[in-house]
Amino acid sequence: MMKGMLALAALLGSLFAATGCAPKPEGPIVIVLQRFFGACDAEYGSSTNVAKAEGECGIVTTLINKFNAENKDVHVKVNIVYWPGYDQLSAELAAGDPPDLVTMHQSVISDYSQRRLIEPLDAGLASVGVDPGSFTRAARAGVTRAGRVYALPFDNWAMLWHINMNLFRAAGLVRDGRPILPHSPEELLAQARQFRRATGKPYLIQSMVNEPSAYARNLFTYLMQQNSDFFSDPRHIRLRAPEARRILVLFKEIYDEDLTTKNQDYTAATSAFLNGQGGVYLVGTWMIGSYEQASKQPGSPLANGYDVEPYPELYPGRDVTYADGHSWVVPAAKRSPEKLRAIFRLLRFLKDNDFEWSRTGHLPAYTAVIESTRWRALPHRAEIAKLVDTAQPLPPRVQRQFLIQQILSEEMESAITGQKPIEAALADAQRRVNDVLFNLL
Amino acid sequence: MSAATKMQSRSPIARPSRLSIAALAVAALVMAAPLFWTLLLSLKPNAELMRGTQTAFSPPYTLQNYSDILGHSAVFGWLLNSTIVSLGVTLGVLVLSSLAGYGFARLRFPGRDAIFVIVLFGLAIPEQSVIIARHQMFSALHLHNSYGGLIFPGLAAPFGVFLMTQYFRAIPKELEEAAWLDGASRFRTFWRILIPLSLPAQATLGIFTFLSTWNDYWWPLISATNSDMYTLTVGVASSQMNFAQTNGLGFLMAQAVFASVPILIVYVIFQRYIVAGVSRAAT
Repeated sequence: MMKGMLALAALLGSLFAATGCAPKPEGPIVIVLQRFFGACDAEYGSSTNVAKAEGECGIVTTLINKFNAENKDVHVKVNIVYWPGYDQLSAELAAGDPPDLVTMHQSVISDYSQRRLIEPLDAGLASVGVDPGSFTRAARAGVTRAGRVYALPFDNWAMLWHINMNLFRAAGLVRDGRPILPHSPEELLAQARQFRRATGKPYLIQSMVNEPSAYARNLFTYLMQQNSDFFSDPRHIRLRAPEARRILVLFKEIYDEDLTTKNQDYTAATSAFLNGQGGVYLVGTWMIGSYEQASKQPGSPLANGYDVEPYPELYPGRDVTYADGHSWVVPAAKRSPEKLRAIFRLLRFLKDNDFEWSRTGHLPAYTAVIESTRWRALPHRAEIAKLVDTAQPLPPRVQRQFLIQQILSEEMESAITGQKPIEAALADAQRRVNDVLFNLL
Repeated sequence: MSAATKMQSRSPIARPSRLSIAALAVAALVMAAPLFWTLLLSLKPNAELMRGTQTAFSPPYTLQNYSDILGHSAVFGWLLNSTIVSLGVTLGVLVLSSLAGYGFARLRFPGRDAIFVIVLFGLAIPEQSVIIARHQMFSALHLHNSYGGLIFPGLAAPFGVFLMTQYFRAIPKELEEAAWLDGASRFRTFWRILIPLSLPAQATLGIFTFLSTWNDYWWPLISATNSDMYTLTVGVASSQMNFAQTNGLGFLMAQAVFASVPILIVYVIFQRYIVAGVSRAAT
């Protein structure tokens, strides 16, 4: 036993030495790219055929493979992290060893840019011919802070109304092949009741349990539609206002009248829509592909009966939908000019291939792609194209947006399900969010 | 009923009643159900599970999810990392806890009891409260993304020191004194007499240390940020796609099964020691 333990100790010792003292081989410039979207090496590990790849993971994997194949002087080493990966990124920044390129939600950029943990990219992007003027309005707003571009936008995404047209037809809510959508809270309630009477099913399908963000995204959209200036100061939210109250009253009424599914988490709600358990599922752009596929399967409740629309304008303020997006940032660190050039070449490559990425269902970040016939030829893209003009993020200087969404969702759930009076929930939400923002450095 | 009959009916080898067997069977079933459910889901295509998990009870079944895991080129590296780190921590904890336990149990030195109390305080301090300071310390020492960075924090094991101290205290001193009379040195006595006698405690401590290190997620997540240094827990989490619980449920379950297989093997091999260790801890 003693000999075995000594041998093991020797093995471990040699491994420590090996990890710390290995000589660095000469070769191509290595860029460490850190991303979420998962791993799919089994299917796409060696593929460079981007056009044939499917899904976020498949497309991003083949894109990087293609770049590596076409650029022999650069090697992109991919570090895949568990979504969203910000704990790891923060740890890497604290350790002074960040990756070279990182996926980041546009709503999170302020958390890093205001502490100068990511680099402004204006000059670098200009050096490879990427003009921020080519970004869509939403993408540009999403990656710009204090007049500087801090990220290369990859896409924008927003919540959408995914519609079961077969049930809508049965409820008499289809005209000229298009779904009849509400244009006021009153119309929404009336159509939802009509739908319930005709089909016996709830009008809305919602993820309402363990839901960290959907409630908040609905709230943002409908506050924006009422022109509510709920974040006039990026360090204070104002929710004790009639606009917010109106939204909660509406959703509580929908809940109380059984016009929505209840007690479903994201997974249950997603499969409920696939199984035809309701008329409209409030979920993001990323589900278009899956539901479009289901609509082509005979026997599916969605067979020949799937449509998707941006959130209808319920309030007479303006047509707007809250949006976020994925982007690429460069964490602050010392890098050689050669490596920086390689990083910006890769960013240019990603920009040039934004159409391929937009096949995931997300909105392209570039006007040229949106205006292209090949993008509009993709399923349902024409219906959601108006989001280019109507998608809007929160004010750019608002920090901790993920945490804010979580707090708002908790309080909204309490109010809508009747665990807390609406006024109390709004007051608590406002206090909790402002506590978070007050304690920022 | 005679006293002998009463004793017989209370003896540990008394035949259990049908009721208690049935109760045990139900309890076992309840505890095993999530494991079987996980296994069943791992054998189903993801697209089917997206429609509903009730499809798990009917064919088709597939090994595609497992093949997707094994198709990831890094997975065996993560397995190796987890094995090295778990064995390294286990070995280190056994050596250090045995030495410290012997010192506290057998040696007299100034401040011994005070130091022992300080060590015991370590049992009450949660990892969360020291994680930032530890992360900064390891940054300063350039130990992140190394086996040392993953192993060293696990070596501070107050429970191990406490366990070994108590175990050594329970061993009669006469055994050591007899060895000294025969001319053995203190270290030789420790190595040849006390260590073999403490093997049951070593086995218990070793197994629990191995299991907790294997399952550790948080520290590897923020220390081993380079995918080459991921442990299995961090690696399998990283390979999940967004919304995996919805559109990749089978893959997620296959990951859970895959990650638990090595632990299952350890359990099967050391089952006797684990059961003995748990019952010893309970008494």
